[in-house]
Amino acid sequence: MGTIITVTSGKGGVGKSTTTANVAVGLAQAGKRVVAVDFDIGLRNLDMILGLENRIVYDSIDVMEGRCNLSQALISDKRDKNLYFLPASQTKDKSALQKEKVRELLETLKKDFDYIVIDSPAGIESGFENSIFLADEALIIATPDVSSVRDADRVIGIIDAKSEKAKEGKEVKKRVVINRIKPEMVESGEMMSVDDVLNILAIPLIGVIPEDKKIISATNLGEPIIYDKNSLAGEAYRRLSRRILGEDLEFLELKAKKGFLGIIKGLFS
Amino acid sequence: MSLFEAIFGRKKKSAEAARDRLKIMLAHERVNTLPYIDDLKRDLIEVVKKYAEVNDIKIKTEKNQDIDFLEVEILLNPPKS
Ligand SMILES: Nc1ncnc2c1ncn2[C@@H]1O[C@H](COP(=O)(O)OP(=O)(O)OP(=O)(O)O)[C@@H](O)[C@H]1O
Ligand SMILES: [Mg+2]
Repeated sequence: MGTIITVTSGKGGVGKSTTTANVAVGLAQAGKRVVAVDFDIGLRNLDMILGLENRIVYDSIDVMEGRCNLSQALISDKRDKNLYFLPASQTKDKSALQKEKVRELLETLKKDFDYIVIDSPAGIESGFENSIFLADEALIIATPDVSSVRDADRVIGIIDAKSEKAKEGKEVKKRVVINRIKPEMVESGEMMSVDDVLNILAIPLIGVIPEDKKIISATNLGEPIIYDKNSLAGEAYRRLSRRILGEDLEFLELKAKKGFLGIIKGLFS
Repeated sequence: MSLFEAIFGRKKKSAEAARDRLKIMLAHERVNTLPYIDDLKRDLIEVVKKYAEVNDIKIKTEKNQDIDFLEVEILLNPPKS
């Protein structure tokens, strides 16, 4: 039986879809059979990040409403035979998802795949509930700013209330990914550090992703940054994926490149 | 404090402010996700009312999820003289 990992955040635009795509590729590269599922109904964009937007014929709502088979809607990624993608509908709104249909779909996927990675919509409304209620694990994405951390805290607090696993007395494994860290701002005291955020959220850390311009070009090209062997963010996502598989890896040491003032400060400290 | 800070002085950095503000705000927000919080407040008011006039009850906690303590602050109305 496969593991369902839901990527969530509360606040929008903090890197859920980017993380979903990269983690899905990372797990597939490690030899797991993976399906990335877009649950951001009405606002699909995981397809573009994965570079699979031209291959879409059917979507998950078509499957749930019986207009096609699951195998017709699943898109196989030509770059990696282990990776599949199930797109969101663009025409329906979030309320188009019915809980029992979602359950049926996810339970079928669990039989076929090792990992089901779900990209969820921003917010804590019905779309979030549908994404989280069958999750085995949750990746909570936060950026080091007050509103993102506040919303992440809120989400962490309600995951168990929405989860079936929690109702059975088990726990959803919740771990935080801190995205868009800017080392030079952290060092100058103008951005909360990884430790600051962890201290407040008090759940285990599973990834630290630096701010990286290459993520934007990767998204432009539809090639997740993890394919780029030379990028720092790519390396961060590779490590994050391997941690999901249980490896105990060090976190990347993110340091600002020292400018003149930095060197002077170094002399005095 | 490093020698650099001693020489060039140090103002409160914005990251520090972010940390402090979040801690204070979340202490209040976290209890709001507890399913029993409104009932608890109502019951507390009932009990305290037997002895004093309650103005407001504030409940907070420092943790999310497995909360193991609540901090209750009961604000009383000043006794009429
Ligand atoms: N570490 C990073 N460095 C630079 N840019 C990033 C980083 N992470 C995300 N971005 C950019 O931020 C934007 C939002 O990212 P993304 O779409 O993954 O967020 P989201 O949480 O899925 O948003 P939404 O809530 O709208 O679904 C994108 O343009 C993405 O390229
Ligand atoms: Mg998204």
